[in-house]
Amino acid sequence: MIRTVGGRLLGSLAAIFGASVVSFLFLRILPGNPARLILGPLASQQAIQQQVRLMGLDRPIYVQYLRYISSFFSGDWGFSYSNGRPVREVIATRLPASIELGLYAFAFAFVAAVVLALLSTYRHRPVVDGTVRAISFFGLGTPPFWFGLLLLLAFSQALHLLPGPEGRLGPAVAPPPTVTGLYTVDAVIAGQWGTLGNALQHLVLPAVTLGLAPFAYLVRLLRVNLLEVSREQFITVVRSKGVGRWTAYVRHALPNAFLPTLTAGGMVLAQLLAGSVLVETVFNWPGVGALVVDSILRQDYAVVQTFILLSAFAYVALNLIVDVLYGVIDPRVRTPTGAR
Amino acid sequence: MDEVLLSVRGLRTEFVTRDGVFAAVRDVSFELRRGEKLGIVGESGSGKSALALSIVGLIEPPGRVVAGEVELNGRRISGLPDRQLQLVRGKEVGLIFQDPMAALDPVKSIGDQIVEGIRRHRRHLGRREARRLAIELLREVQVPFAERRLADYPHQYSGGMRQRVMIAIALANEPDLIIADEPTTALDVTTQAQVLDLLDRLVSERRTAIILITHNLGIVAEFCDSVHVMYAGRFVERTTVEQLFRAQAHPYTEALLRSVPRPDRLQRGPLPSIPGFPPSLAHLPPGCSFAPRCPAAQEICRDRAPATVELVSESTPVLAECHFARERLRT
Amino acid sequence: MADVAIPAPGTARRATARTALRLVHDDPQLLFASVLLALLAALAALGPVLWPQNPLALNIGEALRAPSPAHPMGTDNVGRDVFARFCAGARISLSVGAIVTAAGAAFGSLIGLGAGTLGGWLDAVLMRVMDAILAFPPLALAMAVTVGLGVGLKTATLGIVLTSLPYFARLLRSEVIKIRTLPFVEAATAIGAHPSWIMWRHILPHTLSTLLIQSAAVFGYAILTLAGLGFVGLGAQVPTPEWGVMITNGLQYALTGQWWIGVFPGLGVLAVVTATSIIADRLRDALDPRGRYAHL
Ligand SMILES: Nc1ncnc2c1ncn2[C@@H]1O[C@H](COP(=O)(O)OP(=O)(O)OP(=O)(O)O)[C@@H](O)[C@H]1O
Ligand code: SF4
Ligand SMILES: [Mg+2]
Repeated sequence: MIRTVGGRLLGSLAAIFGASVVSFLFLRILPGNPARLILGPLASQQAIQQQVRLMGLDRPIYVQYLRYISSFFSGDWGFSYSNGRPVREVIATRLPASIELGLYAFAFAFVAAVVLALLSTYRHRPVVDGTVRAISFFGLGTPPFWFGLLLLLAFSQALHLLPGPEGRLGPAVAPPPTVTGLYTVDAVIAGQWGTLGNALQHLVLPAVTLGLAPFAYLVRLLRVNLLEVSREQFITVVRSKGVGRWTAYVRHALPNAFLPTLTAGGMVLAQLLAGSVLVETVFNWPGVGALVVDSILRQDYAVVQTFILLSAFAYVALNLIVDVLYGVIDPRVRTPTGAR
Repeated sequence: MDEVLLSVRGLRTEFVTRDGVFAAVRDVSFELRRGEKLGIVGESGSGKSALALSIVGLIEPPGRVVAGEVELNGRRISGLPDRQLQLVRGKEVGLIFQDPMAALDPVKSIGDQIVEGIRRHRRHLGRREARRLAIELLREVQVPFAERRLADYPHQYSGGMRQRVMIAIALANEPDLIIADEPTTALDVTTQAQVLDLLDRLVSERRTAIILITHNLGIVAEFCDSVHVMYAGRFVERTTVEQLFRAQAHPYTEALLRSVPRPDRLQRGPLPSIPGFPPSLAHLPPGCSFAPRCPAAQEICRDRAPATVELVSESTPVLAECHFARERLRT
Repeated sequence: MADVAIPAPGTARRATARTALRLVHDDPQLLFASVLLALLAALAALGPVLWPQNPLALNIGEALRAPSPAHPMGTDNVGRDVFARFCAGARISLSVGAIVTAAGAAFGSLIGLGAGTLGGWLDAVLMRVMDAILAFPPLALAMAVTVGLGVGLKTATLGIVLTSLPYFARLLRSEVIKIRTLPFVEAATAIGAHPSWIMWRHILPHTLSTLLIQSAAVFGYAILTLAGLGFVGLGAQVPTPEWGVMITNGLQYALTGQWWIGVFPGLGVLAVVTATSIIADRLRDALDPRGRYAHL
């Protein structure tokens, strides 16, 4: 047990190290002077020379790397010339929007996947199963930005049920006082129920759009696992105790089928939290995905560099959480194998 | 003689597969009395497990029980809605399954899995009391340190211990009937003997009836009172254990017996096994289903399916499905 | 695998064709997918003949017309015929899909074969590079490549090829390692056959089916990613009738009521990707019940 935990921590450290090397090398792979890439095309010669010294570009490469890493951990993520502000500030204003959207999208993907996978495999009903499979093909094949467009057409333009692409809140609604940066949470904290409702309304379509592909992926995975588990003998044994079909399914088949899905779920969440340009563009959502693409287009690479490293951290952290969850849910991980 | 506990008439179970519909259990009838120990033997794929599951209505799609009646304690249980069958399963009938490694939910503790069965049928029992009962059950099936091992998970149990847990689950509500589908196949010889002793004790203490499904004729000889031989979804011979080993009315039974290694017939060279393969249930021959492999087959066997012949041999009744059963027993 | 008799090539082909036909016949979803894909391929190939309107010709007087017999999919904001653009878009998407699949399969397989057969430090280096590529969100990586090399359809294609390499390389490498230990390959090695000969003669034929499944998955992935790049302006550029670019254009008009500009190209992407993923799914069921390749 101790050894595996140690091994995983070591693996995570290695992954972070790899990502930091990649994000460090990122600027050096691109053609051109890294100092100019950081400062942007409009920087003066003098500023560039200063930056060269600052980045230690005249020093050996491993010294440069160590400097880069130590300044990253001391919270100095560089300066975004296109925003005219430090990278940390720029990302701090954008990240909560992506995290909030990502969390809701994940909740949708996850709940919908569990429910539909249960329905599609319960009691061998070809019509239900066929429908769910068709939905999952649709989810995997739909360009998310186009799906967002369809949703806007239907629910905003035609039915007037939900707001159009106006970002996180309606134009007349002020954001709640910042605590977490997640509007729905902050609104609850501040007791602003009207703002909460408005924020939730603005989250529905983007969250469904963003969650569609992960949902389709998870439902496929879960469906196969459920089919496999429900053929296991222990399900028949549970039934032979007099337990009802549905109870046996939810209480015994689902937890077993769920385990192999956990890893996939963690990876999906990591990706969702990193934001998505495609969906953010459609809904004018002020998230990091759009920020990163903007930065790429404007060659503001300090932002991109930080983003790479931050996503690696999120990825590694979520994988660790998944590992811990495995320990909680799966007794075979928690306790040693074999008879006492 | 004890009263009839279970009566099965004309039970038929079909599976729908890519290659068409086939019957795994073909119009099977039999009776079982309280305290009786019935063995069911037959080759792999002959439909033994399908029969066991059909009796308690646990056949799942693509399978379906299409005909027949099952009566338990004088009450018809076949065709009941699942909700009512649930009250029978685990209460009046306990099942023990083939593979102890696959029969327990790997992510639920042993205690929870036993308690689940207890509380399903005795809802008034609190968690605590149910747990106490579970410990008692584990003691009864001779799991050492029962109290401590309740919180353990299946992967922490050995195969033999798991099979004991399975038996504890089947016994939880003191059923009148236990159907044990190859309860000992996966166990070593010593454990096998212990498990059988356990079942034997049950019968003598509680007058529980047992259906023991097995490949192993040795176990039948040791444990059972009567025995039914299953071939391609039908009982081809039904009789007592003594009679079965004395003389076989059906050529298949004879072949089965001959394929068993016996210490009193120590021999060199390969074991004789039954020549040919079990028939594909989807393409049964028109006459006797054993005809393609039967050494005694005649013209008539390929044309006409044999009817059940009722015989008495040395004052024990024998039922056999062979055109020549009468002649065979006489010689 | 090793003891399967290899039939004469001619019979194999006929048998495969017959099997394929039977599969399609037995499975309505597969039939639907095949027909859909064939239809789009036909539109892509014969579009200019069937519907001889110029997908690039502006006609401001005819702008923003709803679908009608004259313009089955309507016209866009500068009066271009959306159906003509749709067909041209199909040509672009299907070609890029085919190019990415072919190039990705060729180079990715080479990398995997090389790493698997030669082993050693080459294997280690190649596979670490592949891992690094996989660690990125594919869209972001493709973006980085296009930005580095200059935005456009060609660089976008190149970027997508790059992101597809690891899927093929990993697959081939694991297959090679598995097959290398099979008796007949070991025998060939023992009698002194050259590694590249072994690769060509024994390993490739055995991996063809898995390669096929992976290719079908990558094809759909390529089209989806291309549309995504086009949508954010990092793929094909503005007048090009690429489906993603068309959707971006349609986005502005969708909310004022001209839904057809963006909806049809999206349907195109959906149709191609769904059809290929159904086909990949069935190929997998038929050829590879255990599943060794990555889901995309
Ligand atoms: N779920 C199922 N789907 C299709 N066919 C099945 C299914 N379950 C059982 N069968 C078929 O029913 C027939 C009888 O199977 P059954 O499991 O009852 O045999 P058995 O006598 O118990 O064999 P064994 O000794 O191996 O346990 C077999 O031909 C089997 O293939
Ligand atoms: S009926 Fe004929 S074929 Fe069938 S068992 Fe008897 S002798 Fe053999
Ligand atoms: Mg069985």
